[in-house]
Amino acid sequence: MSEPVVDTTHEEGETRLSTGGLGRTLLVAAGVVFWGWLLLRWANDWLGGLFVPVGQPFVAPATIESLGASIPGLAGAFDALAFAVEYLPALSEGLWLTLVLTVLGIFFGFFIAVPLSVARVYGNLSKYVSLLYTELLRGTPLLAQLFVLYFGLNISGYVPGFLDGVFANNAAWAALVGFILNSAAYQSEYIRSALQSVDTGQLTAGRAIGLSKVDAIRYVVLPQGLRFAIPGWTNELIYLIKYSSLAAFITVPELFKRANDIASSNFRYTAMFTITAVLYLALVITASRMMNYVEDRTAIPGLGTGSGR
Amino acid sequence: MSDNEHTYLLEVDRVSQSYGTEKVLRDISFEMDRGDVTVLVGPSGSGKSTMLRCVNRLTEIDSGNIYLDGERITGPDVDVNELRKEVGMVFQDFNLFAHLTARQNIMLGPRRVLGLDKEEAGKRADEHLEMVGLTPQADSYPGELSGGQQQRVGIARALAMEPKLMLFDEPTSALDPELIGEVLEVMRDLADRGMTMLVVTHEMSFAREVASEMLFLDGGKIVERGPPEQLFDRPEEDRTASFLRRITEMHS
Repeated sequence: MSEPVVDTTHEEGETRLSTGGLGRTLLVAAGVVFWGWLLLRWANDWLGGLFVPVGQPFVAPATIESLGASIPGLAGAFDALAFAVEYLPALSEGLWLTLVLTVLGIFFGFFIAVPLSVARVYGNLSKYVSLLYTELLRGTPLLAQLFVLYFGLNISGYVPGFLDGVFANNAAWAALVGFILNSAAYQSEYIRSALQSVDTGQLTAGRAIGLSKVDAIRYVVLPQGLRFAIPGWTNELIYLIKYSSLAAFITVPELFKRANDIASSNFRYTAMFTITAVLYLALVITASRMMNYVEDRTAIPGLGTGSGR
Repeated sequence: MSDNEHTYLLEVDRVSQSYGTEKVLRDISFEMDRGDVTVLVGPSGSGKSTMLRCVNRLTEIDSGNIYLDGERITGPDVDVNELRKEVGMVFQDFNLFAHLTARQNIMLGPRRVLGLDKEEAGKRADEHLEMVGLTPQADSYPGELSGGQQQRVGIARALAMEPKLMLFDEPTSALDPELIGEVLEVMRDLADRGMTMLVVTHEMSFAREVASEMLFLDGGKIVERGPPEQLFDRPEEDRTASFLRRITEMHS
């Protein structure tokens, strides 16, 4: 009694952002340039000036300007590039903090979100606790939550000794706590809806072989639900990258704060925020590409939304 | 129950069950010996599937008692997870764990419920895959298998727990006609090996050939019970006769 497997033909993964090979190549090239520069930049500044003095651009702005001056018609473009190059070292420091706060916020938020969503779907009393938490944290502005944590509760004043000094400004801790708590609420909603889309027969089958409810959720429902959750969950990651800029309002020197501080000294708001926008965009595209990759890697035939479907 | 003389493998004693105000099972009693194959038949809504689910307590009964191997399995003090180690279940729509391969589907119970290590559980999975003839499909996901293959994995998954009793809830009803045979073949093989099986099915040829006893349910009651020859050839109740005639015509 053996017959061939019915269908094992996997379709080639679609690229969502770019359609042709050229678009994809350009995107990869841009990514290599951006991350190559950023990693070298951080390495240089952390290791006390590996290539150029700490905080100094790799190429002097004046060199770029003089280069552009010799090419008619492109002087303006080179001026703009020189301007960007001059301030990118300062922005790269803010970019680091933005990245760290976002990644840690999402990461720790996830471990709160999973029990929250499980409680929401399968809990009795805990369902209402989860609901209350989620509605409260989703229903009030993130900025207001950061104000409460920073000004109201003065979280930054209670940073334990061994954590003191990890960030240049302890306000970052208040921001991190805010991001964790807030993103936990949003993530739990994405995971909840994914858990609900797992066929109820799966839990029944798990219970029928003698798994406890907790084990059946852990070994059967969650592995499927979390896969279903990836596309929606990616939204929350992208959201937090951009909304981490609200930390600027509680004095955290992340990307937006850096850009704003520089702009208010040189008054070139449009130029500064255009550069900043490009940096955020680079982070967001990287995140969405990465999650696309994760989705494809975790895809299982007949399950979820990956190309293994 | 009568402990002093004979213990049945399964004894269902005056069981009633209702959803809200609707009575699903009314005072059902029957018993099975080791190695018996009991087939439940009856029109849709007659309570067959509910009866099955009461035995592994996926559904709770209102009154009555159920005994497995002489021990009462109904009542709040019974550990349902312990009970379910002893009673395997095969579902109409297979319910294979969609994120696990055939082999992993079979391994999950032995590993997480019986506490076997990975190697032992894997060995047990391989044995049961072989038993249902799916060794080449060990590493396929449910989404890559045909319905008949999925159901055979479902049977292997339940068997890997080495249960005393197997419950089959319309195991071929969701299958294309040409895939039914391979599943029935596995079930027939299982009956030949002496497995005790409680089966809800509309496959009358299987019932006639394999069943040691048939129960005809209607409106939550056992209308008639007996060996298949009696129910098919000289039924005592008109309802039994007309139901079996209709269902046999439909499937031939």
